[in-house]
Amino acid sequence: MLDLSAIGSALSILSSSYLAWVYLIPGLLIGLIFGAMPGISISMAMAIFLPVTLYMDFLPAVIFLTSIYTGAGFGGSVPAVLMNIPGTSSAVATTFDGYPMARQGKHSQALGLALAASVLGTLSSYVLLLFLIAPVSAVVLKMGPLEMFAIAIWGMMLLGALAGASIWRGLLAGVFGVLLGTVGMNTAGYIRGTMGIPWLLDGVPTIPAMMGLLAASQLLNLINTHYLIEDEADRKISFARIIEGLKLAFKYPTIIARGAGIGVIIGAIPGVGSSISNLISYAETRRNAPDGETFGKGNPKGVIAAEAANSSSEGGAMATMLALGIPGGGASAILLAAFAMHNIVGGPSFIGHNKDIVYAIIFSNFAQAVLLLFVGLGFVYAASAVVRVPLRFLIPTVLVVSTFGSYAIEGALSGPITLFVFAVIGWAMVRYNYPVAAVVVGLLLGRLLEANLLRTWQISRGDLGYALERPGAILIFGLMILSIGLTSYSRWRRKRAAAAAAASTMEIGS
Amino acid sequence: MKERTRGRLVVDWGHLALLTFISGVVLAYLLDARATSLKINNLLLVEPAAIIALIFVALVLPQCFRRVSEEKAAEPVRKETLSELGKVAALAAAFGAFVISLETVGFDVATFLFTAFGIYVCGERKLWLILLFSAIFTAVIVYGYQMLVPFPFPLRVL
Repeated sequence: MLDLSAIGSALSILSSSYLAWVYLIPGLLIGLIFGAMPGISISMAMAIFLPVTLYMDFLPAVIFLTSIYTGAGFGGSVPAVLMNIPGTSSAVATTFDGYPMARQGKHSQALGLALAASVLGTLSSYVLLLFLIAPVSAVVLKMGPLEMFAIAIWGMMLLGALAGASIWRGLLAGVFGVLLGTVGMNTAGYIRGTMGIPWLLDGVPTIPAMMGLLAASQLLNLINTHYLIEDEADRKISFARIIEGLKLAFKYPTIIARGAGIGVIIGAIPGVGSSISNLISYAETRRNAPDGETFGKGNPKGVIAAEAANSSSEGGAMATMLALGIPGGGASAILLAAFAMHNIVGGPSFIGHNKDIVYAIIFSNFAQAVLLLFVGLGFVYAASAVVRVPLRFLIPTVLVVSTFGSYAIEGALSGPITLFVFAVIGWAMVRYNYPVAAVVVGLLLGRLLEANLLRTWQISRGDLGYALERPGAILIFGLMILSIGLTSYSRWRRKRAAAAAAASTMEIGS
Repeated sequence: MKERTRGRLVVDWGHLALLTFISGVVLAYLLDARATSLKINNLLLVEPAAIIALIFVALVLPQCFRRVSEEKAAEPVRKETLSELGKVAALAAAFGAFVISLETVGFDVATFLFTAFGIYVCGERKLWLILLFSAIFTAVIVYGYQMLVPFPFPLRVL
């Protein structure tokens, strides 16, 4: 599994020139700042700095870009925790518990937790990558539409977890989101629900819609509040509490390991990646947690699960990119572009001939993860200042930043218009206790669900027996059913134990 | 059974309006999709999902109607006061106007006006602070995003 001579030469490449290290911290900082800005995606940050790498050697160029990738992966969680704005789609699940924690005055702990989970997630994903790069790439090539559909369904299982007070309102919100996610032209070429608006052909712009549903709607609700955190004592920015959060993350190694495993596997699948892995990891952690009912109300485990998964997706995406030359998403596509700029073609032949470079990239990412801990600490400390800004200034300014961000993503007014429409819908839904996060999940997965269901239908020609020919899909569905079954069983056992305990206390009492 | 029929029926009109909106959107989408084509490649996911959504609407609908005792019905149940709701409506309307006018009046002018109005609606009353903050914020955000984003933002003054 490991090529020791290649590892030796990777270490000598890294130690022979300072150039391999000099871009690490600037890259991380750029990533953190850009990732924390709503509307600037990881891929956009990398694209902006891609031309700079033309003047660097190949390895420093890739290290610089992967540092931006690592920094931005965590940067997105800062606005997610502090303002309920998922900087990127991969930070959606971070908002579920991160923002409630911030509203309770635990913003410092939440950011510390997110940072530690991100660092540990990145580290473990690259350790896995070190050993699994070859087998992972073999598995990815075997993924068909039915397997992708199964994974999207797995993501949808989160809807049950998000339902909140009324299960029907939660499910209605989720299905409404799925339907909105299918608006536009489907993969078979049929155009539905566009109302004659040309930009809806590509579907509802997802990121502006998410920003509207999660953030702008909350801001409208906060208009009668003075500060994000009402209690003045809780508003303090405390380095000690950030460290407390950091330490807390280390108490949940299983959640981090599960998140990292889910992140690497889902992250390796092209087109799926971190935007789903964080949702699945969150749903699985909630399902397995004894205090599952407190998820969504500021449970630290929710933040750890989401952050461990979204940051470890980077390792998975890198596996697909390095081993197969297939970009899993925008960020790895830019890395491939950097490869091309240096006349290097990614894919099986690259790994075969340049194992030392691949190992050097992996080792450099270990260093990036460790450095992120320190650079991130400083960044988080500075960013926490937002809780001290009076809401009368914060609300209009964040609305404006979201508008600029949504314009930056779409390059047209379609972004801001979507933002506004979904802000109003989100406000109304929050007012009547609908979980807007369920709409967001549906919106993210709607198109993926339809495209893969359609492809499966076309390949199988409507024959349900086709599923039996896909052991991968059966395995995924099996794992899903097993996970639900085990949870129901443990819940039933807990209930029975609680009932028995109650009965025995009553007997003693009488 | 007698207990259940006593008391006054309270209708949550806002919730009812939201459900009407959701079911209207779902129904319109279903009809539009069916008008496009009745082929399975078009309706495979959309039709069952729309029907399921409408069933969920029917299941949620009874939650808009509550039977409460006369004493409870007399108590105010509103979460916000009318003036608080008015503030939300004013900010939402201003936000809508801001979004629509961005390209016509320019990002700079629209941002300045919306920020100033938003801060005022949210409770700040010092005029000099509102104007100064809005001007500085507008300059920072316009120049900042202009540097980062590859396409131009239509501007009027800056």
